[in-house]
Amino acid sequence: MIKRVLLLMLVVGMVAGTAQAESPQQILDGLVAQAGPASAARGEKLFRGKFSGGKNADSCTACHTNNAKAVGSHVKTNKVIDPLAPVAQKDRFTDPAKVEKWFKRNCNDVLGRACSAQEKADFTAYMISIK
Amino acid sequence: MKTASGITWKNLLTLILAVGGTTLLIAQAPANDEAVFPMPTGKTYLNECGSCHTAYAPGLLPARSWRKMMGELGNHFGEDASLEEPQQLEIMKALENLAADSAQASMRMRRINSAIPTNAAPQRITETGYFKYMHDEVRPSIWKRKKIGTLANCIACHSRANEGRYGEREIRIPQQ
Repeated sequence: MIKRVLLLMLVVGMVAGTAQAESPQQILDGLVAQAGPASAARGEKLFRGKFSGGKNADSCTACHTNNAKAVGSHVKTNKVIDPLAPVAQKDRFTDPAKVEKWFKRNCNDVLGRACSAQEKADFTAYMISIK
Repeated sequence: MKTASGITWKNLLTLILAVGGTTLLIAQAPANDEAVFPMPTGKTYLNECGSCHTAYAPGLLPARSWRKMMGELGNHFGEDASLEEPQQLEIMKALENLAADSAQASMRMRRINSAIPTNAAPQRITETGYFKYMHDEVRPSIWKRKKIGTLANCIACHSRANEGRYGEREIRIPQQ
């Protein structure tokens, strides 16, 4: 009986685990399905652009630095931020809920509005393209 | 039984018990007195509250402060820190259980709480009397060092702050 329960837990755990962890490419595919084809070049422009809509930072690079492979630092708290590019930080763009959460917060903080599905797809494409 | 020096078994036993008991007390005292705060279990708190800043120990503020903060996450010190409902509820519960005025609060947490007026719900730990008292010997020039930068950056000096550990022996002040 106990064995069966353990086996069931293992199976449920594996299913739950695979449901959460995706590859960056799968995350991108999901965004492209909503937006249409993604452009890494447009994504890079978004990453490096200066904006005036947000209250806290004028750009992504304010915290993440000009190099998405580098360790960043929060503009206000100085806390160290892991690199954004999956090539430098393996768990980046592997959890869809986490990706959505940070687009929601950071687009609001930098642009003063939500990002479109196209912008998210472009941004993700750029991050994946960094080698 | 009696020896030449007047040591009886009874006296000896009392001595052993006394020495042993005192040793135990001394061994435990620093642990009780160390600045170690209980932290929420699981990864939610660290992931959600520790990605932009130190995962501050809930025991550094009373529950009323945390309740106010959790109700205003859309504008969290000017930033959008909004959470999905399951995480919101889980974190709020943990904060209430471990706050400075919670039922199982340590002596240190009670001291923190007692320095805060009951009608106040401070949002910045750095504005509480206890924080100011504990850091009054830190020169302004030290706070300005590149690796510290702000009072909110606990983990810059308290390297194990994310585990709720603020003990004096674990402080490492960056030299730049």
